[in-house]
Amino acid sequence: MPFYEVENLVHAYNRKPILKIRQMKIEPGSITGLVGPNGSGKSTLLRLLGFVEKPLKGEIRLDGRPVKPFDPCVRQVTLLPQTPYLLKRSVFQNVAYGLMVRKQRSNLKRSIHQALEMVGLDPGEFGMRQWDELSGGEAQRVALAARLVLRPGVLLLDEPTASVDAASAQLIKEASLQARKQWNTTLVIASHDWQWLREVCDHIRHLFRGHLLATGQASLVFGPWRPAGPAMVEKVLPDGQRLQAMGHPEDLAKAVAVFDPDDFILSNRRPTGPSKLCWVRGSLTQLSVEKGSRRLLATVAAGNVPFAARLEPGEKHGACPLVPGQALWIGYDPLKVKWY
Amino acid sequence: MDFISHGIAEAFRLLLSGDSQTYSAVAATVKVSSMSMAVSLALGIPAGFILGYTSFPGKRQARLMVDTMLALPTVFIGLLVYALVSSQGPLGDLGLLFTLKGIAIGQTILALPIVIALTAAAVEQMDRQLRTTLISLGADRYRLLMTSLWEVRHGILAAGLTAYGRVMTEVGISMMVGGNIKWQTRTVTTAIALETGKGRFAVGFALGLVLILIALTVNVSVSFLRRK
Repeated sequence: MPFYEVENLVHAYNRKPILKIRQMKIEPGSITGLVGPNGSGKSTLLRLLGFVEKPLKGEIRLDGRPVKPFDPCVRQVTLLPQTPYLLKRSVFQNVAYGLMVRKQRSNLKRSIHQALEMVGLDPGEFGMRQWDELSGGEAQRVALAARLVLRPGVLLLDEPTASVDAASAQLIKEASLQARKQWNTTLVIASHDWQWLREVCDHIRHLFRGHLLATGQASLVFGPWRPAGPAMVEKVLPDGQRLQAMGHPEDLAKAVAVFDPDDFILSNRRPTGPSKLCWVRGSLTQLSVEKGSRRLLATVAAGNVPFAARLEPGEKHGACPLVPGQALWIGYDPLKVKWY
Repeated sequence: MDFISHGIAEAFRLLLSGDSQTYSAVAATVKVSSMSMAVSLALGIPAGFILGYTSFPGKRQARLMVDTMLALPTVFIGLLVYALVSSQGPLGDLGLLFTLKGIAIGQTILALPIVIALTAAAVEQMDRQLRTTLISLGADRYRLLMTSLWEVRHGILAAGLTAYGRVMTEVGISMMVGGNIKWQTRTVTTAIALETGKGRFAVGFALGLVLILIALTVNVSVSFLRRK
């Protein structure tokens, strides 16, 4: 049974539609990644999943029951916003706040020390510091400790590593995964850190202009597009190459083309001879192992646009093994491109 | 210039010798300002919070009215309260004219807009993430309200302090509604006005000094609270 069930969700600010999701499910104990450009509705979706706000329309069910803000069962869900807010108190009191409102005062000190240690902060050194005596990374880690101390059923992370240094980012990533390992916490992470999401997420969802576009490792290419023949459109990539696709998108300026990672073919030289495939040239920027399937995912940037290709085990790409930085050709069937 | 230095010296003598008239005025001032501030804070903080935190139809008009009332002259408030509590007024039967309670009503009208407006301004400047954070940490509606108020405590303290300063130093309401009756409704400010008129600068200085001391005590207490 899914832990979260979202149905016909609509949300708007000042009558401007922000989010429209027909259906979404999140399994208990899973890690879900939310990706999408700024303004795509990731933060709004997290606020609704965190029951901080009530959706304009639609329903969010938690453990099978419809839930709204301030319902008692909401306390198993906690959200870490992108910009953390620390109460104007000491670090210790900040981490203690959630336990105090739950009247869980037994072993308070030990729980707080454990939570601070989870995020790499020495309780002796940081416990009595005031909220304004912390760096940005330390403040973010204290905010995370304030959530971890609650042993949450669901931890919603809104770009948790976007504005912190590399060391803090690493500690935040480790602590989040530790929560899942120790308490089977369901994680929903909005992030631009593709590599991290690919490594840890069971599911990745794409959001664009408030709509769930695709799930998995699909590559999205945003408009503007221009006509390039009967039923064919193209986009000129920043390096001058033309990316062509079949279809009749309604609005060429705003259309989004979705490429499935299984539909790509990689080659270290452009194949010659007649072919129904289109090819663009790029360079391999990243190789990662897809969680679950354990298959290799190759990210090839063509004119700065990243394309993720899922590789078959033992797949050959010419004579050379794949090495980041290597020039590659990406082939795809223009008929298989989906449009939003 | 001699009369000024003589006045200040005489002020210390009156204070240190425990002059009963001086201390009667001080007691009346503390009593009446405490009453008016208690009511102003009890009504003004929740009203200011609602005005700054929530959205409702007519909010802009309410804000405009509160801001306008910040500039109410004390003599006008004195006149208004006098009209209400005099024997011909609608509250005449309550016998509030020439009493400390009557003055306190006027001072509440003076202080309330200050508390509301400055509390609302402090709440409006509150970080948007505070609400998200508190709900995310499991706060219910009551905790949300109380913690939010605590987070803007410095702004609310400033609102109370500003209102207290205005109440302590006003003359118009105390004079018109209280009548400046010796031993009863004579406050520090009305006594200063009276003694200065009679040429008794020493008593005026002594009372002025007391006002400064009270202001200092309140400010020191507030700065101590701010550190907490």
